Amino acid sequence: MLSKMIEALYLKVFVNIIVKRASTIVYIEIHSKKKVLNSIHSEFETTSLNDKMLAFIQKYIKESPYYYISILDRAVVQGALPSCQKQKMLFYKDMSDSEYRCYDGKWAYYTAKSEMYETEKIYESIGLDFIFSPFVLIAKFFKDKIVGKIAIYVLIEDNYLSIAVFEDEYLLYAKHCDLDTISEIDDILLSDNVDVDEELDFDDSGIDLESMDVDDDGIELEDFGEIEDLDSLEDIDEFDDSKDVEEELLESDTDLKEADVVDKSNEDYQRFSAIQSAVADYYKDERYESKFLENIYIADGIGVSRELKKYLEEEMFLNVYIRHMEIDVEICELAQEELSS
Amino acid sequence: MKYSYIKPRKKSPFTADVQLIITFFSMTFIMLFTTYAFLLFKNYTFTQDRQALISSTIDLQNSIDEMDRKIAYIKKQKDLAEKVFTQNMVLKDSITNLFDLVPERITLSRAELLKNGLILYGITPSKDVYNFMLLAPLRSIFQKTYSSFYPQKNGWLRFVSTNYINEDDTEELDSEN
Repeated sequence: MLSKMIEALYLKVFVNIIVKRASTIVYIEIHSKKKVLNSIHSEFETTSLNDKMLAFIQKYIKESPYYYISILDRAVVQGALPSCQKQKMLFYKDMSDSEYRCYDGKWAYYTAKSEMYETEKIYESIGLDFIFSPFVLIAKFFKDKIVGKIAIYVLIEDNYLSIAVFEDEYLLYAKHCDLDTISEIDDILLSDNVDVDEELDFDDSGIDLESMDVDDDGIELEDFGEIEDLDSLEDIDEFDDSKDVEEELLESDTDLKEADVVDKSNEDYQRFSAIQSAVADYYKDERYESKFLENIYIADGIGVSRELKKYLEEEMFLNVYIRHMEIDVEICELAQEELSS
Repeated sequence: MKYSYIKPRKKSPFTADVQLIITFFSMTFIMLFTTYAFLLFKNYTFTQDRQALISSTIDLQNSIDEMDRKIAYIKKQKDLAEKVFTQNMVLKDSITNLFDLVPERITLSRAELLKNGLILYGITPSKDVYNFMLLAPLRSIFQKTYSSFYPQKNGWLRFVSTNYINEDDTEELDSEN
């Protein structure tokens, strides 16, 4: 009781760290009771914790003993599973080396213990209070959408992609992709003269539903056959027409420089490939309940190009909804929610 | 812990700076209170000592008064003793003189010394001898003199001479004692 009273007298400082491919974003919010007094955003050219970043963070955490440092989990081995029961989890993954948490008792998200300890070690000079999974971020950000019918939800970070399929708040499938790792694998495969198409199925051509039917002999994709929605293009048109006004379509973001456009286009193609690969995995893997996907909701944390939307719509026949996300702000809100719980 | 993989660290308002400030103020207050307590104790002991000294002074004063009284009494006693000694000397001299005054023809058989007088018993050959040779000196000493004679078989006279000095003189002597 006394500690709560003392706590109310102090400012609360929320430090949120997002590690990107070659830099780190530090977002700081200073709260007085429930009022935001100040918010600071800064980017540092490091992926760990250099002196400059340390000094920057320490400058603000000195303002109050009640400071909370949050980080978005950047582990390569992380994901989410459709069940919260340990026995059922084993069906999907050996969890002995993983730390996991249940989300509302409906599904679970996990991360590799070793990577979590490594993250804690990197930031041990300032310490960490919260490590959040990107899947929690997706579930929170699209909480108005995941309660509805099945859709694929993607969180796009600079070098990571978190893909989840939700239906009525239940998770059906999830995958976390490290784009750097994927591109490295691509390079290795290319250098070994391996047929990428064969290995990754869809990298260039996207999902060819008809050819999939023929190749897979209708075993895994029987569900496709039963779905008539694909045949009726009118319905798809209706989806296009019925796009939520609230969704922030990034079609207007066309003022990019040409070089940036090329780079972004490449990266977006990589992202598209990862999504395509995940969808294929979702359909093929017998462990997951493979229901037909027609909508994709993208939480855009970096500002993707129009290309990605075009790829997804043209190659995968998905209705694409892109909503811009301030990842740092979302993490800060999560930290606040975590404290109040 | 709802969503995070790790629990937040326990936060305490007692940071290093605050701890330093609290330590500083605690030390200051402890020193102040210690000094205050020491002064209170010293003040108490001083008060006690003062009370004891006052009490001792009063006792000594009483003792001095008592001693003064005793000295005065002793001085009085000494004076009285000297006076008595002097009187005794005077009396002795008087008696010696008195016996010197008694002529050879008169024989004293008894003498009684009173506080304010002298009673002489004796034998005289005659009244005249007595009157001329003894009464006259007695009258010079005593204010009141009474003489009685009783004849004896051999013709001599037995006499009783009662002599008194004035009572006022006696009282003066008493008061002086």
